[in-house]
Amino acid sequence: MKREEIIEKLRGILASAGDGTAPVSVTEESNLMTDVGLSSVSMLYMVIAIEEEFGIRFDDVGVGDFATLGDVVTYIGNKLG
Amino acid sequence: MPKYYDFETRDLFRKYTDAEQFEKIREYGTVTEMWQNCIFGYADRVAVIDGDETVTFARLEEDAARMRALFSDIPKDKKIGILAPNSYGFVKAFIAAVTSGHAAVALPPHLDAPTVFGCSMITETGAIVYDGSLADRLAVVRERRPDVALIKTDDAADEAADAVSASPDDPCAVVFTGGTTGKSKGAVLSNDAVMQGTVNGCYGYPDVFGQRYLLILPLTHVFGLIRNLMTSLYTGSTLFICRNNKDMFRDVAVFRPTIMVMVPALAEMALNLSRKFGKNMLGDDLKTIICGAAPVSPFLIGEYDKIGVKLLAGYGLTESANLVSGNPESVSKPESVGIPFPHQSIRVNDDGELLLKGRNMMLGYVGGAGEDAYEDGWFRTGDLCRIDEDGYLYITGRTKEIIVLPSGENVSPAEVEARFNAAPFIQDSQVFEDENELGGRILALEVVPRLSELSGVAPEERGAFIVAELEKINETLPPFSRVSRITVRETDFERTPAMKIVRYKKFS
Repeated sequence: MKREEIIEKLRGILASAGDGTAPVSVTEESNLMTDVGLSSVSMLYMVIAIEEEFGIRFDDVGVGDFATLGDVVTYIGNKLG
Repeated sequence: MPKYYDFETRDLFRKYTDAEQFEKIREYGTVTEMWQNCIFGYADRVAVIDGDETVTFARLEEDAARMRALFSDIPKDKKIGILAPNSYGFVKAFIAAVTSGHAAVALPPHLDAPTVFGCSMITETGAIVYDGSLADRLAVVRERRPDVALIKTDDAADEAADAVSASPDDPCAVVFTGGTTGKSKGAVLSNDAVMQGTVNGCYGYPDVFGQRYLLILPLTHVFGLIRNLMTSLYTGSTLFICRNNKDMFRDVAVFRPTIMVMVPALAEMALNLSRKFGKNMLGDDLKTIICGAAPVSPFLIGEYDKIGVKLLAGYGLTESANLVSGNPESVSKPESVGIPFPHQSIRVNDDGELLLKGRNMMLGYVGGAGEDAYEDGWFRTGDLCRIDEDGYLYITGRTKEIIVLPSGENVSPAEVEARFNAAPFIQDSQVFEDENELGGRILALEVVPRLSELSGVAPEERGAFIVAELEKINETLPPFSRVSRITVRETDFERTPAMKIVRYKKFS
């Protein structure tokens, strides 16, 4: 899966988190905490939704393990092989 | 003059529960007494599932009995600390400690070594049962208190020791408060209090006994320890321990829970995930969600009602051994936290503050801290409330969060927020005091929209739409409590570990 396809799916996930997260403008450089504004709940939402959407399993991860959305894209890309 | 409410409410709950099951809701004075009835009544039923371990009530008693033997040299006035994540080891250690006549101290697993040492000093622990993964947190205790016995959760004596009954007034558990408004304090709960809290969890919904509970809340929190673990054991139910919240929905698919105890933020998250993936992520067997620890929005109650799940809000504190009230009429009175449970006496001061007395109330704080916690022998909750004509309780704010306007008028932010939160497209809001351009003090409102309820409005028009709708609500408020500025946030509020909103404080 191409990076752009992954990020498009991530935008869909962020949009469905329902906590006001603004997904349209997010890019690979967006910082998850300061730009996207993920709280502990929306981070949990994102992890669960990614696992469901991409059919992958996260290893034990915490909010601090990813700085930008690009880091998440890379992680998903590696998991998908 | 304060108002007093002291009536027997058991019969008010009768009609909400299956008649035969309701008669089985009995009171016990001690956990040991309850536990002996569990072993007798439910021996072969599964009590706990944790990973690969499936443990019956009989086996839990056998394991607890061999751990009790390890406590035999520890004087009864010394407590047993438990330092473990949510696990079968925690459950076993808790049952072993309290049925050996000791009080258990629930030590939150995120504490560092000096804090574990401090907590064990002030609570006078004679032993700490710990999970191997947390051994490093005992470094300071090991060095400075060689007299404290350190026992691993999987340690066991060769011999079993019989259960010992404490007296109802004896301490049973020490649970630390969340500490969102100050330093965390250890509330000492008697056997009577823990049992009252446990039984309170049985009122207000149809099927109570033989349920399947999925545990996602920490066992070191009263909501997890008493409402989830203790009520599950009491009712002969099975407790499935979710080891990692991110695996919650995989666990749901395997275990198919019938009841869950959770905070509103998680209930809302489950709803959003269900929408996104077009399936009920909480499973089709779920009938009841017990929701508390933060205000529950009427929207959430309504949405779950549509899919046949009763979401019941309650009100409780660490100091009250969990639940004080529960709302069996959550759909018709969604803003209420319900009616007080049996043996709960209530006093409402002139300023609206809620004060409590009853079997479920703590003996006091560890080390006697917090003398201002009481007034005439009544525990001061710090919460503001009102009670309607049917005896239903509403929490309207915190005494400490009251904003005193320059005009001298008092505004309860929570009360104003509740009015804005009633709009379906508002997920959360915060009312606070701020400055305008001229330096004058104003009331400001920030909201987090619920985008799923705004799909009919074009994205670029949402901000204006929300502000216009909120302005209409604002007009219905008493003039002094109207907000002068409305901001629509693009991100969630900053939250505490318990997922509560961190409140702005510009003026103190």
